[in-house]
Amino acid sequence: MARPAHPQAMQPVKPGRTRTAPPTMPPQFPMTGRYRAYTLFDATGFLYLFVGFVALRVVWALGTGSAAWASIQQQLANPLYIGFHVITLAAVCFVAVRFFGLFPKAQPPRIGPAKPPPGPVIVGMLYAAWIGITVLMSAALMGGIS
Amino acid sequence: MEIEVLRHDIVIVGGGGAGLRAAIAVAEADPSVSIGMVSKVYPMRSHTVSAEGGAAAVARDDDDFEMHGYDTVKGSDFLGDQDVIQYFVQEAPKELALLEHWGCPWSRNEDGTVATRAFGGMSTKRTWFATDKVGFHMLHALFQHSMRFDQIVRYDEQFVTKLLVDGNTIRGVAALDIREGVMRLVLGRAVVLATGGGGKAFPFTTNGNIKTGDGMALAYRAGVALKDMEFVQYHPTGLPGTGILITEAARGEGGYLRNADGERFLVERDYGVGTKAELGPRDMISRAIIQEIEAGRAVTQGDWGEHVYLDLTHLGEEKIQSRIPMVRELSKLYVGVDPVHDPIPIRPVVHYMMGGIDTDIEGGTSIDGLYAAGECASVSLNGANRLGSNSLTECLVFGARSGRKALEFARGASEGDESSLRSEGANEAGRVDALRAKTSGTEKISGLRRALNDTMESGCGVYREEASIQASVDTVQEIKRRFEDVEIQDHSKVFNTELISVLELSNMIDISEALTSCAVVRKESRGAHTRRDFPNRDDQNFLHHSLCHFDSTGPKVSTKPVTLGKWEPEERKY
Amino acid sequence: MSDPPKKTFVITRFDPDVDEVPKTQSYEIAVDPDWKVLDAVNYIKDEVDGTLSHRWSCRMAVCGSCGMMVNGEPRLTCKDSVSQYGDTVEITPLSNFPVIRDLVVDMDGFMDKFKKVKPWIIRAKELAAEDGPVRQSPEELEEFKQFSMCINCMLCYSACPVVSNEPEFLGPAAIALGHRYNVDSRDEGASERNAIFRGEGTVFSCSFANECSEVCPKNVDPAAAVNQAKFNAVIDWATGLVLPSGEKE
Repeated sequence: MARPAHPQAMQPVKPGRTRTAPPTMPPQFPMTGRYRAYTLFDATGFLYLFVGFVALRVVWALGTGSAAWASIQQQLANPLYIGFHVITLAAVCFVAVRFFGLFPKAQPPRIGPAKPPPGPVIVGMLYAAWIGITVLMSAALMGGIS
Repeated sequence: MEIEVLRHDIVIVGGGGAGLRAAIAVAEADPSVSIGMVSKVYPMRSHTVSAEGGAAAVARDDDDFEMHGYDTVKGSDFLGDQDVIQYFVQEAPKELALLEHWGCPWSRNEDGTVATRAFGGMSTKRTWFATDKVGFHMLHALFQHSMRFDQIVRYDEQFVTKLLVDGNTIRGVAALDIREGVMRLVLGRAVVLATGGGGKAFPFTTNGNIKTGDGMALAYRAGVALKDMEFVQYHPTGLPGTGILITEAARGEGGYLRNADGERFLVERDYGVGTKAELGPRDMISRAIIQEIEAGRAVTQGDWGEHVYLDLTHLGEEKIQSRIPMVRELSKLYVGVDPVHDPIPIRPVVHYMMGGIDTDIEGGTSIDGLYAAGECASVSLNGANRLGSNSLTECLVFGARSGRKALEFARGASEGDESSLRSEGANEAGRVDALRAKTSGTEKISGLRRALNDTMESGCGVYREEASIQASVDTVQEIKRRFEDVEIQDHSKVFNTELISVLELSNMIDISEALTSCAVVRKESRGAHTRRDFPNRDDQNFLHHSLCHFDSTGPKVSTKPVTLGKWEPEERKY
Repeated sequence: MSDPPKKTFVITRFDPDVDEVPKTQSYEIAVDPDWKVLDAVNYIKDEVDGTLSHRWSCRMAVCGSCGMMVNGEPRLTCKDSVSQYGDTVEITPLSNFPVIRDLVVDMDGFMDKFKKVKPWIIRAKELAAEDGPVRQSPEELEEFKQFSMCINCMLCYSACPVVSNEPEFLGPAAIALGHRYNVDSRDEGASERNAIFRGEGTVFSCSFANECSEVCPKNVDPAAAVNQAKFNAVIDWATGLVLPSGEKE
């Protein structure tokens, strides 16, 4: 049967007057049904962790000198690194699409007297910002790497 | 093993609209008083939750207490007590205002004032509403407001099996813990019963599973009379098959009733509702629908048996979505019809019991310290027929009044002799334990329930006559005998719902006994009690309330005068 | 006319006085195509096995009693057509809750969390009946109305992965209810509730799985409420830093 949940999940403050069977996890958790998308969404955290390490490594090389910089550029051309970055790009797109979809409903009905714009407008603004910043940053980086 | 005793100043049985209102009334009047609220379900499951249309109170400038009072008296076919009705209409706006303060999300007019809608038998718009989920919103507002008071101690999922009466004074109740299977005594200086009606005695009802007349049966067995039990309201528009309620508000917003020929029979033919048409009183409309069915003009397509149509197609999607969205939801979910495009199949369905525990205007019964309010009581506000949207307000007005009166009584009351109560409680525990352990028995619970349902439908339906009512009187007695042989499969202690079903069935049998006994004696037609053999109202001989007392040799029927007032009985035409 | 179709219902059974752990029991019955899952369970109890315990009442999706897991998903069984399922239907008690008996779970943990958010109108000065109803515009009503539709069926608690793992978490319905009062124009207790939202069982435990809203039978959208509550709780905290507490409304 289903896996156990935390043994104290939904336990009342006053102990129950009869013996209960322990709470169980929802059976489809973690990788069936809608939970799969959620679990992957949260799991992308691991990718960002590695991206962080890679970024630190690159920055350190940049700070060390041009020989280290040339070396790191060569390493980054390795198909494994490229593969990793492709997966990370896919993950970022997945997270963005899911999060942008959910974001409008997280806006309170009013902030003081101001009402937030309608859902589709918010989503449009988020995509515009995302794509806009990506284009700008790419242009800057590509321009900077002649 | 010593029976556990829980002590409070006031004990309230039932956690619905009336019970919660009584508890809040006591808690707000005196914070030092301890209140034990005993309910067989968690309060938000109480059947108040399913009420849809609205709650009535004078709100507009074109309305006054006189009009609301007269509408109610006339709606009751002049059997409602006029002092009760006068008090009710005056208190109603205050109660609904309090609900508003406690968070109830009343629907609003553009200017922010509370909106009102038209309702059956009401001469002007005075039904306050919360889209079409008024009972849900009222119950949740009451329950959530009641959580502020730590002195209201809840005993959830405890089934009261007996009232503890010492001489003629109430001492408390014996309650079976549904989860643990043990009996406890909950003692108080006053007890308020607010347990609702008993529609589940009938096969086709809007009522939920829990409406089995428990409090009525408890009072009846303790010697308190049940009043006007023969008056059972058939709500005109229930979904065929399930019996799920389609609110009167659908007609209030402009819906039409049509027969198989597409005609608005309430307008085309004379059913006594005059220009009110679909907004006539419920008893008249239910009779009209049954007559249409008997005349062969019922719709018979589909699996739904004979029915007529509730046509909302001319209202438009926007109106339906904003004013009666739940009607649309229920119709799509349970009969697969979208009322925006197609008419809804409906037929009359048992909905409410005008009768109940005989109380005075303050909720007091013939047992000192025992009070009753809400559908389980007959004050009598509703007489022979209730107007829609009066009952939710009734729960508040008389729930509050009973609570306050119970508090007043409790202040002067003394504690009973606990040792005799303990032994009574132990005996009751023994009785229930023996029932649970019973291995002999050949009568299935569902079989007895069906037999009861069938006889109540055939004898005490919309149209009644001597032979069939008498047959149901006899059959109920036979079922009572057969009940001694009921079969219980579940002998467990923990959360034994079959045992609860058996106890509920015995309550339904007892109230059916009172119902049928009163029906056979009332040889006239008044309000919801319509007899083919006595088709007219007979004020000469029957302008009185029926009373039914429990007796081991058989139910004893008697009468009680109606409190008349400024409105003399007249012909009831709309 | 052909025989009505048969389905097998595999139902969790548990009597703490007899069973060490829950087990399952199978019931094969003829099924009416118009039935909801609750009708099938009631039929089994009434005609086949009287020892099966479950909760139900209104059968019209408003009392919230009949929540169960059907084929692994939390469903309101009075709303759930049985014909959408195949030949075998698994019915188990709501996940994430301790189980009292068969399909009956312990609700008191939920009732505790419910009360914690102070789900009532908080006013500095109480009003009397004679003051009459307070005015509220239809627009103001719309702002919180959706969140007031919760029938306390607890399906959202069953679906929430945070509830599974963090016993203190207030949970979707309780937070949605607290948020409903915060947004109600008649209430003055938002600061109190926002402090509760930042405290033990914090709203920030929510990781926006959105499962609560997916399973909600009344379209309350608790995920929206919880995440709006996060935003409001932060604003409330920030304004609390800037304004001395005596000046808070």
